[in-house]
Amino acid sequence: MTDPKKGITEREAIEQAQQGREAAFETLYHLHKRRVYSLCLRMVSNPAQAEDLAQEAFLQLFRKIGTFRGESAFSTWLHRMTVNVVLMQLRKKGLPVVSLEETLEADNEAPRKEFGTKDVRLTGSVDRLQLQRAIDRLPPGYKTVFVLHDVEGFEHNEIAQMVGCSIGNSKSQLHKARLKLRDYLKFMRAEKAKTG
Amino acid sequence: MTCSCSDVERLLPELLDGSPEDATVETRLAASKLDAHLKSCPACSDLLSDLKLIASEARQLAATEDPAPRVWVRIAAELRAEGLIREPAPMRPIIVPTSPGRRWTSVAWWLAPVAAVLLAAGSYVVSHKPAPQVAKKQAPETAPAAQTPATSPAPVVTATSSSSGHASAPEQLAQKSAPPARLAAPAAESEPSAPDSSTEDQQFLSAVSTLAPSMRASYENQLQAVNADIRETQAYVNQNPGDVDARQHLMDAYQQKALLYQIALDRIQ
Repeated sequence: MTDPKKGITEREAIEQAQQGREAAFETLYHLHKRRVYSLCLRMVSNPAQAEDLAQEAFLQLFRKIGTFRGESAFSTWLHRMTVNVVLMQLRKKGLPVVSLEETLEADNEAPRKEFGTKDVRLTGSVDRLQLQRAIDRLPPGYKTVFVLHDVEGFEHNEIAQMVGCSIGNSKSQLHKARLKLRDYLKFMRAEKAKTG
Repeated sequence: MTCSCSDVERLLPELLDGSPEDATVETRLAASKLDAHLKSCPACSDLLSDLKLIASEARQLAATEDPAPRVWVRIAAELRAEGLIREPAPMRPIIVPTSPGRRWTSVAWWLAPVAAVLLAAGSYVVSHKPAPQVAKKQAPETAPAAQTPATSPAPVVTATSSSSGHASAPEQLAQKSAPPARLAAPAAESEPSAPDSSTEDQQFLSAVSTLAPSMRASYENQLQAVNADIRETQAYVNQNPGDVDARQHLMDAYQQKALLYQIALDRIQ
């Protein structure tokens, strides 16, 4: 990964940041700011909070950059740190990182799937903005797992470790999140068709 | 034997996320039965398609949002405060000898005084009742600094540059020691106005045009957004001059624009 403006690689930037060079810190920030901020924004659905969390994630990373030896990918290190910062914040606010209730809840609480009946399909496309709005509406427990798995690409075993749940729990929450999203998206599509 | 709709419900998570290597014999057998069911059941088939679509579209949401420039400013300030940045703050020369590789300096130096003027204008609108008709008359006084470089150097950088030795020519030193005429009396008897945004924004855009395309687009978007915010808030404040919150919001918007200019200056240097 190379900063297109400064023409230095991520590796060089890390080495220079370890020596305390501001430009190197800035290069690393610009290389990863989108991914980090987007992750925070998806998880908390609040731009101001997301900025604070992204700031905290980068600060934690930069404070520990002297210990980075390159055994793992820098981006992996940063994104795990970001997730931990966000999860810590959610826990502080008393929001469920992963909800036991949601996992054990009766099917009547889960989205209705209407198996065996004719259903409206999403017809092969999903508007990005609508999908984002639908994600924002997810309960926190569902949202965490969905964002980490489907948006950020973490595996269930990694999610289970990060949020402190079982792999089965992570899979279950993801499945329910997708079903809820499907319902939300269909609802939004129907509303849009009515109004316009 | 084929499977039912409820079997589909049970097996869907594995079908969607399970890798072929991890699939158990039972899952593989079930998957083959499932194929037959999906061909004959439109509801289950549609459900599977939709969930696959949601999962694939969600990936497009990663890394799509840019944080505001203030995030880096705050991080850098914190790094300096904690001593993690172990080098002096970069010098900001007002006049740098022109060379082919540094042509941008002649374009960008005006950003600092413009940022200061924006802050002064923002402060003014918060502390005074707006008088739009007066502000319009004053607009020429805040003509772009680039047009009068000898009389309006950036006060915030004069001290550092005078000791940095970047400008050695006597006339350059004279320019630096000259009082910043426009900024020396920002709150004179008449009301200062916001800078002529169309001209100064053009200069801003010209300065950031030297940056990488993605960076340039980001600055352009930020400028557009903050200008829209200033316009809307100014209009509201004009109609509701007693609204303290609105005036504070307007001040924040000016500060945001000043910050944007300052960040652009730092980046270009």
